[in-house]
Amino acid sequence: MIPILRNWYAPGLPAKYGAHSLLALLAVVTVYPLVWVLLNSFKRSDDLFEASWSVPRAWHWANYGAAWRYGLGHYMLNSVLVTAVSVLAIVLLGALAAFVLTTHRFPGRGALHAVILGGLIVPPEVSLFPLFKIMLVLGIYNTYLAMILPDIAYGLPFTVLLLRAYMMLIPHEMAEASRIDGAGLLRCFWSIYLPMTRPALAAVALVQGMRVWNEFVFALTFVSRNALRPLTVGLTTFGDSLQTNWPVLLAGLVISFLPVLMVFLAMQRQFMGGLTAGALK
Amino acid sequence: MRRRITARVAPYAALAPVLCLLFVFLYLPLVADFDYSLHDWSSLSPTWRAAGLANFRGLLRDTLFWQSLRGNVLYAVVSLLFQVCFALVLAAVLESRMIGRRTSTCLRVAYFIPSILPITVIGLLWQVMYQPDVGLIDQAMNALGLGNFAHAWLGEPQTALPAIIAVSQWQWTGYLTVLFIVAIRAIPREIYEAAEIDGAGAWHRFRHVTVPGVRETTVLMALITIFGAMKVFDIVWVMTGGGPNNASQVLGSYMYRTAFRDDRVGYASAIAVVIFVLCAIIGGLQLHWSRRREAA
Repeated sequence: MIPILRNWYAPGLPAKYGAHSLLALLAVVTVYPLVWVLLNSFKRSDDLFEASWSVPRAWHWANYGAAWRYGLGHYMLNSVLVTAVSVLAIVLLGALAAFVLTTHRFPGRGALHAVILGGLIVPPEVSLFPLFKIMLVLGIYNTYLAMILPDIAYGLPFTVLLLRAYMMLIPHEMAEASRIDGAGLLRCFWSIYLPMTRPALAAVALVQGMRVWNEFVFALTFVSRNALRPLTVGLTTFGDSLQTNWPVLLAGLVISFLPVLMVFLAMQRQFMGGLTAGALK
Repeated sequence: MRRRITARVAPYAALAPVLCLLFVFLYLPLVADFDYSLHDWSSLSPTWRAAGLANFRGLLRDTLFWQSLRGNVLYAVVSLLFQVCFALVLAAVLESRMIGRRTSTCLRVAYFIPSILPITVIGLLWQVMYQPDVGLIDQAMNALGLGNFAHAWLGEPQTALPAIIAVSQWQWTGYLTVLFIVAIRAIPREIYEAAEIDGAGAWHRFRHVTVPGVRETTVLMALITIFGAMKVFDIVWVMTGGGPNNASQVLGSYMYRTAFRDDRVGYASAIAVVIFVLCAIIGGLQLHWSRRREAA
């Protein structure tokens, strides 16, 4: 832990209480919408209109069953599948690339490194139509791959940047010693570098997992079959078909943010560490 | 001998999957953007005509294009105020001596939460919040006696874009605050102590120690924020689709509509090229500054 600095303000009491109440107010404003959604997801429709501020009179769990039956369960399975495959590929491929760029010298290394990092400044939003065409040409439009492959590609530059920074801290002798022992590239990677980078790998997996789980634009554009849709896009169609049944819609929202929120609260230190290490949003 | 060749080829083979993926899904589409933007075509009709710079000349005369760009600029300005200026002050207060350590951690987590939520959850959540009948905003205004100021926020042209931008501030300010906290912690403690011995008050320490100490981070955050404002698409698409009557259009949503709804691919690609060039300039500066920070 880095020692916390508390240096620039020696408080008088009124200032202290003032600051505390302002900060608390800000926290309430930030979190209250979520609490509001949670509370109202348990109400009946007419209760919501009469008193959307209050705690529900009776906890109406049926909203959750209804939301699940409207197809949320299926959307969630799709999200899990796409996220798991993408994150696994991003971590393995990104770590391998970072490893080679850190430990090996070969002609063209600098240029290839620049090509990978250059991807950081290309926002996927600008390439949606060409990507759509590429999906058609490759014959993967309307398949899971149409989400997974771009999810992997746009996650790699950041991952390589982060993992390479971490691997630079591992003493070079490790790689050289194993090379003298006659171990090949893959073995050195798999049995020395991969285990030693474990904390960074976990941070990368969390950050990329959140990114892919929340990904919206690819799923919106490259998949039109409802059966393949992940939660993010599924929710919008869900919202359309439920225009007036607010509580069920709210229950759907809770179902889709609760997993991310739980993982975040359980692992918030690693999470923030991973996000702040590279400072991208 | 064979072994030596394998060893020589191995690094390239290890990089190949990453390079292939980046080539097919990241660089190739970008090149295609530039190519499409110089042609006049749609995906329905097979005509593919070279158009030179006609699409770009069209953009210059297109009031909707300029209006969308103004939307991005407004988005950037408001975001700089909240996500850079305000977030820095917030971070400094959270790290100051008057806030207990545990309180500070709890507040930080609370502020951070909106940034981890899926965009559709945020979009739907705030659509509900902004609803005139059930929504929290108008109900709160009525309760406070501000009923006259109640609006159908997302349904009215004057308020739609500001309402979306407000949601983005809610979503990202806490995230940037955490980044600033990391930067403030990296400032050597001794500098603060020295300033205190010299009799510098709280404001002076903020102004003359904290602000210069996080200068590089501030520049980076500003660039990240502008980058995000130039490419913004999903939040607008989810909340209003650019409506009502194009009032909340930004470049990203205008491009998406032109490509996928109006099927004017060449023209949409010209907009994409404009967005990319804006992002590339800012992103290039960003890479440059992070290198500097690493070197320092």
